[in-house]
Amino acid sequence: MGAFLEIQDVFKSYFLHGKRIDVLRGVNVAIEKGELVSLVGASGSGKSTFLHVVGTLDAPAAGVMRFEGKSVFDMNDGEIAEFRNRTIGFVFQSHYLLPEFTAAENVAMPAMIRRQDNGAALTRARELLDRVGLRDRADHRPGELSGGESQRVALARALMLQPALLLADEPTGNLDPSTGEGIHQLLREVNRELGITAVIVTHNETLAQSMPRRLRLKAGEVVAAG
Amino acid sequence: MREQSQAQLPAASAPSAPVPAEAGEPRASPLPWVGGFLALIGVGAIVAGLARIGAAELIVSDLGLGVVGWGPFVELVIGGIFAAKTSVMHDSLAATLGAGDAGGGDLLTWAGLAVFVVGWVLIAVGLRSRDPQLTAEGMSIRAPLNPRLASYRDFHWGTLAEYGFGILLSELALILVYTLLISVGADPKAQLDEAQRVFTPVSAFLVALLLAAVIAFAGGYLGAANSKRLSTPEATLAMLYFGLPVPIGLTLMHLVPTLTIKVGYRLREITYLSSLLGESRPQLGYWLVFTLLVLMLFLGINTGFVATSSGRTDVRGGFELFVANRHVSVFRPRLLLGAFGVLILGILPPLIIYAFIAAAAAQTERTRVRQLGLKDPLLAAEALHRLKGKAQRPTEMMTALSVGGVGVGVMALIIVLSVMSGFEQDLQQKILGTNSHGVVLKYSDSMAEYRDVMKKVATVKGVAGQTPFILNEVMISSEGNISGSMIKGIDPETVGSVTDLPKYLLAPSKLDWLEDPSQIERKHLTGLDDQPSELDRKLPDDPYLKQEDGKGEEEPVLPGILLGRELASSLKVVVGDRVNVVSPLGGEMGPQGPMPKSRPFRVAGIFYSGMFEYDSKFVYIHLRDAQTFFGIKGASGIELKMDDIDDARRVTRAIYDKLEGYPYRTKDWGEMNRNLFAALRLEKLVMGIILSIIVIVAAGLIVATVIMLVLEKRKEIAVLKALGVSDGGIVKIFLSEGLQIGVAGGLLGLVAGLAWCFFIEKVGIKLDPQVYYIPSLPVKIEPLQTALAVVIAILVTFLASIYPALKASQVEPVEGLKAE
Repeated sequence: MGAFLEIQDVFKSYFLHGKRIDVLRGVNVAIEKGELVSLVGASGSGKSTFLHVVGTLDAPAAGVMRFEGKSVFDMNDGEIAEFRNRTIGFVFQSHYLLPEFTAAENVAMPAMIRRQDNGAALTRARELLDRVGLRDRADHRPGELSGGESQRVALARALMLQPALLLADEPTGNLDPSTGEGIHQLLREVNRELGITAVIVTHNETLAQSMPRRLRLKAGEVVAAG
Repeated sequence: MREQSQAQLPAASAPSAPVPAEAGEPRASPLPWVGGFLALIGVGAIVAGLARIGAAELIVSDLGLGVVGWGPFVELVIGGIFAAKTSVMHDSLAATLGAGDAGGGDLLTWAGLAVFVVGWVLIAVGLRSRDPQLTAEGMSIRAPLNPRLASYRDFHWGTLAEYGFGILLSELALILVYTLLISVGADPKAQLDEAQRVFTPVSAFLVALLLAAVIAFAGGYLGAANSKRLSTPEATLAMLYFGLPVPIGLTLMHLVPTLTIKVGYRLREITYLSSLLGESRPQLGYWLVFTLLVLMLFLGINTGFVATSSGRTDVRGGFELFVANRHVSVFRPRLLLGAFGVLILGILPPLIIYAFIAAAAAQTERTRVRQLGLKDPLLAAEALHRLKGKAQRPTEMMTALSVGGVGVGVMALIIVLSVMSGFEQDLQQKILGTNSHGVVLKYSDSMAEYRDVMKKVATVKGVAGQTPFILNEVMISSEGNISGSMIKGIDPETVGSVTDLPKYLLAPSKLDWLEDPSQIERKHLTGLDDQPSELDRKLPDDPYLKQEDGKGEEEPVLPGILLGRELASSLKVVVGDRVNVVSPLGGEMGPQGPMPKSRPFRVAGIFYSGMFEYDSKFVYIHLRDAQTFFGIKGASGIELKMDDIDDARRVTRAIYDKLEGYPYRTKDWGEMNRNLFAALRLEKLVMGIILSIIVIVAAGLIVATVIMLVLEKRKEIAVLKALGVSDGGIVKIFLSEGLQIGVAGGLLGLVAGLAWCFFIEKVGIKLDPQVYYIPSLPVKIEPLQTALAVVIAILVTFLASIYPALKASQVEPVEGLKAE
């Protein structure tokens, strides 16, 4: 029986000005259930690429990823969409809320995609917004929210369906330190109280130091960070 | 294991090609382009060669086909066969079909064909050129390839089979089922008796077409569901190798005599049906139906892809609709009202109104903001911010334009088609007002026993009225003028039961005066005109007139005659005047052959039917007078009126059977005026096609709008995908956006078109009565035709949004997220 999340021999390149840059050169890593992991690395070292591959947003050239023993890359489009919907919660550097929808609707979106009842979804969305401290901003559109508020809405959206795995890509990169610390606090709470496994990409060394497990992406490979 | 592979990396890659990253992109082979160029030259040479033989005109004359799908290709084939046939007529059919050598004249054609084939071979070879990097060994050689990459671009034979058999089966099903249905219940002895058939051609065709459409749709659906993608190469191959042969074969059947003889009679029902569809050109009918089936296949493929590309069938769309509504928000009252205003009033008036309202609203808003500012500057700033937030996105403008475009197209279609239907109905009414719904004729000069025939006809169900008639050509002269006319002897008692002639009479005419000409109001004008005319005084010595002849100064009692308004005015006569009717035949033999026969008549009435042709050419006299004048016993035939005009063909058929055929024959109004109505229908078809171009332009607008939406929403598409929306879901979102625009435009166009039609009908648009013979523009709203215009517009917009929707689904989540 393998680990909760097992990544083997993952290769991935991206292309910059027509040149191939091999960022992941055979990544091997295993993450246990309930872990809170930080991933650091130099700019352009492939941290985001790694996270995208793990989150199935990007297909690697080669490699295997097993989630609870199931090979993820073997899934078809529909299964992958469902995997993203039910298993993974994303928080990006930018909040990426949908501008046409209110905060509550944005949070409820994953449940609506899963074709749950809209009313129930919106009720739960309001509870989550309450939890991240945005009770009175539920009916505002993203354009009317500040950066920190938007990021909290995005976090609430990621938690909507209680995912098994939370992937955060520099969630505080665009925020000032104190607002960022608030988000980090929330992430830790989520990990502790809901038991959600979380992988957080950051270049904030102090934040990384505060995480129980620290990984570093170096020369296309994931190694344990000091 | 991974370490191993990495350790091997330098050793393995050193002797072979340099590191792939630096190898540069594989160069695209120029061969396909050269091949394409050669193929074009080949086509040019073929055309030139055909032109030299003289077959080019045939192709050009048949160019009507060119608008339908594979038309141009078929033209080429047809042209080739004609060319071969005309040049090597003496050769066998084998030679005709291309094996034999052709005369020097079309050497150019064959050379062109060869160049064409070589060009395609080059294209094929060029596309197969190898990627040199395949020999290099990389560091990731041992790692398991991503399954999605591994299954990339494989060819689905199953899908090809499903597409291919889908289209082929649907074609064959259409032919077989139609032939089968049409022969159900048909007695082999009385094949022509349509009344006994269980299915009429139309209903049989509809049933067969429905079945064929379902099969084509199912083929497309299953194929796309099988491969979970659109599989365009498979669809193209399926169409080329499975779909095309049937219509090509049917087309060739008409062109190659051997085929016509061998196969033609088996497919005569199909040919008959197709000639109905294609306005008496069966080929057009084949290709129309083929296009329809291909469309169904395409719709099936698209539906199958959308429904199943996510791995399982999912036809629910609540969430997608929710997102799409927010994206385009077509059904906003302001947008709909604005577009409707433009459709009804034109562009300028609504624009002016809008400018007024907008200026007023902005003014009041500014006042409000200022007042707010006096109280609380921060509140004013917020209000200002909100105001700016309302500024329109470019796609909103595009959406409104698209809705308006579709609306204009649909509206124009509805109005024009309704007016043309109005004209058609008007014309039909007028033709049938003066003409009958059908006639019974006899293969001889006269039908002396017309009373017996009428009794028999009266027993046939569906006959509403009948009247005997005598028809002949004469010349009519008055003092002022002379004119050639059709003279018709009628029975005043029964003529009203068949035509509207009694209604058309203008005061002071009376139909009874034909029966009793002595009642005719004489011209007792005072003054200059009070003298009996020259003709009146000089009575010819004729026994026929003598019986009614008055004496002395008394004017003689002449038989009555009815003239059309135009004829009366060109002859310069009014009711009570005399005219002479001259028949070239029927007189005695003179030294130079038959002498013309002349009789005076008195104008008993003037009629106005509204049809120039009738008003200027037809005159009516009493049947009795006609019998005497032309020396005919009985009548030339019997005119009929049916209960249901659309049933005329069947009823005339039944009458024919009742009279036991020869020497009698029957004709219905459609046969009598075939050219006119065929021309009308063709005109309507052409107008429909021309106006559909507006809808197609509007569809282009929709494509542009949805593409803009996709570009604008790249980031959000990526986010939606990250949240777990499948590719099919994205397609659904953007399809429904296009469809919403189409539906909104279609409905607006429908309402506006109907409003215009209503306006034209009630208020009326005056026409010059001298030119049109109709006081105002006629309108007839045909529900089916109107609904069809809307449905076609919506279908076109749906098809138009497929491409951008697919583009949207192809946005990679990562690409969209990077586009910050």
